[in-house]
Amino acid sequence: MKVCGIEIQISRRVSWIIHPPTDEHERLGNPKEDRYRIASCTEREDFIIGPDDLILITGANGFIGARLVESLLNLGFRNLRCFARPTKAANAEAFGCNTRPAARIELIRGNLLSGEDCAAAAKGVKVIFHLAAARGEKSFPDAFMNSVVTTRNLLEASLRHKCLKRFVNVSSFTVYTNAQKPGGRLLDESCPVETHPEYRGEAYCYAKVKQDEIVKQYGQSFGIPYVIVRPGYVYGSGKQAIPSRVGIDTFGVFLHLGGSNTIPFTYIDNCAEAIALAGLKKEVDGEVFNVVDDDLPSSRQFLRLYKRNVKNFKSLYVPHAISYAICHLWERYSSWSEGQLSPVFNRGRWHAFWKKTHYSNEKLKKRVGWTPRVRMAEGLNRYFEACRNGKLHA
Amino acid sequence: MLKVAIVGCGKIADSHVLQIQRIKGCDVVAACDQEPLMAQQLSERFRIKQYFSDLTELLRNARPDVVHVTTAPQSHFDIAKLCLESGCHVYVEKPFTLYENEAQELIARASEMQLKITVGHDDQFDHAARRMRALVQSGFLGGVPVHMESSYCYELGGGSYATALLRDKRHWVRRLPGRLLQNIISHGIARIAEHLKSESPHVIAYGFVSPFLRSEGENEIIDELRVIICEEERTTAYFTFSSQMHPSLHQFCIYGPKNGLALDHDQETLIKLRGSRFVSYAERFIPPVTTASQYLGNLKTNLKTFLRNDFHMKSGMKYLIESFYRSIVEDTPVPIPYREILLTARIMDMIFAQLDQQLSRGHAQQGVQAVLTR
Repeated sequence: MKVCGIEIQISRRVSWIIHPPTDEHERLGNPKEDRYRIASCTEREDFIIGPDDLILITGANGFIGARLVESLLNLGFRNLRCFARPTKAANAEAFGCNTRPAARIELIRGNLLSGEDCAAAAKGVKVIFHLAAARGEKSFPDAFMNSVVTTRNLLEASLRHKCLKRFVNVSSFTVYTNAQKPGGRLLDESCPVETHPEYRGEAYCYAKVKQDEIVKQYGQSFGIPYVIVRPGYVYGSGKQAIPSRVGIDTFGVFLHLGGSNTIPFTYIDNCAEAIALAGLKKEVDGEVFNVVDDDLPSSRQFLRLYKRNVKNFKSLYVPHAISYAICHLWERYSSWSEGQLSPVFNRGRWHAFWKKTHYSNEKLKKRVGWTPRVRMAEGLNRYFEACRNGKLHA
Repeated sequence: MLKVAIVGCGKIADSHVLQIQRIKGCDVVAACDQEPLMAQQLSERFRIKQYFSDLTELLRNARPDVVHVTTAPQSHFDIAKLCLESGCHVYVEKPFTLYENEAQELIARASEMQLKITVGHDDQFDHAARRMRALVQSGFLGGVPVHMESSYCYELGGGSYATALLRDKRHWVRRLPGRLLQNIISHGIARIAEHLKSESPHVIAYGFVSPFLRSEGENEIIDELRVIICEEERTTAYFTFSSQMHPSLHQFCIYGPKNGLALDHDQETLIKLRGSRFVSYAERFIPPVTTASQYLGNLKTNLKTFLRNDFHMKSGMKYLIESFYRSIVEDTPVPIPYREILLTARIMDMIFAQLDQQLSRGHAQQGVQAVLTR
């Protein structure tokens, strides 16, 4: 089918036997069966916990968190505790209580900086999906506090309760250095992460590197089983329209920096399912999983589709050699001027964001049996449509 | 070499360390935060040799000459007092203390110990503010200021600080006597206090929760404030704080018997306001040209300062810290007179006392209305 100039193929193939939790659930049906995998009986045997074991999801009212809750419900898990910041937007209905009467969804409002709140949240929990993060935070201390201190609090709380089977730490591609290899090479789970993330000029990168470190440290020191999941650029509406890997509009005109680079997209539903599976499958403790979809478009292809389907605007292509030179000069000037311009553009960032790189999801597919159920064309189509309509979710 | 320590490793501590590291003759030797991870991250990022989660341990082991207190305001008094008693000079971030009596006690203790203390009113030391001070001291106003207008606004619509504050009913800002206002307005009040001669000016404050915040379910945080300050038959001043007004101003105007000055902190511009008038239509044609040329002059000055590599966002902080350290080393007067620190604290106390009365009156009225509607 062709919609909005994009060739799309919607997979309606149901390859999993549906085992709804109750007859009532079966009667209601699953409205999104084409978008989600439903766990088979045999697959459930591969999970580290049973359907009634308690799962905690932090950041549950966030962009990925809300979809992760849906994914877990679709996988047949019935006992979820959603931890959200105390906002008006977070309510139990938002997490699908109405559509899944058999599931027990508990909403806890609190702050992960509070040890008490963490202790209450982690009580009796078998698996923690830790998604709460300081995304978009520009201050290093604030990003660190809301990523690392919160993670430490949660780890401490789970140590106290002694029943945790896995801590799933949701990280990011931003932690990879991508500097010590020529352009065009593969970036996978074996690639090194930043050893000096403070030089990247990005508070989020610094916080995420340190967050991963503290999770590993607690894993090694106290035997907390963990899995680290690193999504690429998670798309779906409700997010910045054009990823900075494609380009930036900081200077009043859109500078297209990605060129022919592949952009590591993962559609929100695919990503949520990958996180769910990585957190639940047996024999993956201590592993890191990157999440990217198949058939990744280049930056140029994405920008062309965006302009055609959402909004046309002028952009200026900046070749890689020039963007690298600008980043280098900016870094040098920032250092020479003792921070008169903050080092937001630098070689480290260029390597991480704008260097030609390929990505792999082989490990995720092989070890946890994940496949991106929403294909790239379909995902982009939903995304562009949502952008046009100004909706929050594609 | 002055040995400096930072206590409190949050957002503002970054600015302090960045500016201190630009100053010759000093070294940040230790960082401290009650959360050890926070102390660790600051020391890692800025290559600070030691970090602590216990202040007494820091004072004992690192033996700093100067301590910068960058914690939440509730702890300023106790930390500064402990540092003074340990023989350290102290730079306290704004607001200096929660109450005037605490400010008095700290200053008395510093004087007694022959130590120096200052407050982080760094906005008063950026380039344009310094140019303004020089003009006032040179007699440009033509006498004692007649009137001042200080606007210090804050956009509550966005930003992580605002979001955290509005979402979190246990946020430390809510526990301040003056809540949000206490953490922000001292910059704008201090600008007025600098030019007042009286020790106890008359203060009339009116504040309320903006309709925007009320629509968000907030009824504790006063985010609109208007203040009139007057000395007996001499200088008067208006102070405005608003979270809703746009543009969100950070301006200060001062008017003397002959001329005035208008300072824009955001744009770093200083405009001379001529007291005399041109004749007839000339008043309508010449002043726009002269004002335009003044703005061009400000542009040129800002560009030159940038090219001279002295136009950092926190250039005022660097100047204030440098001046404070110089006053320590050369035993000269501190850059912010103690009288000004105390007067700022006093005016703020008066404002918050009046706002508290208004709030309790408001709650009482609401209670009466609720009973009547029942």
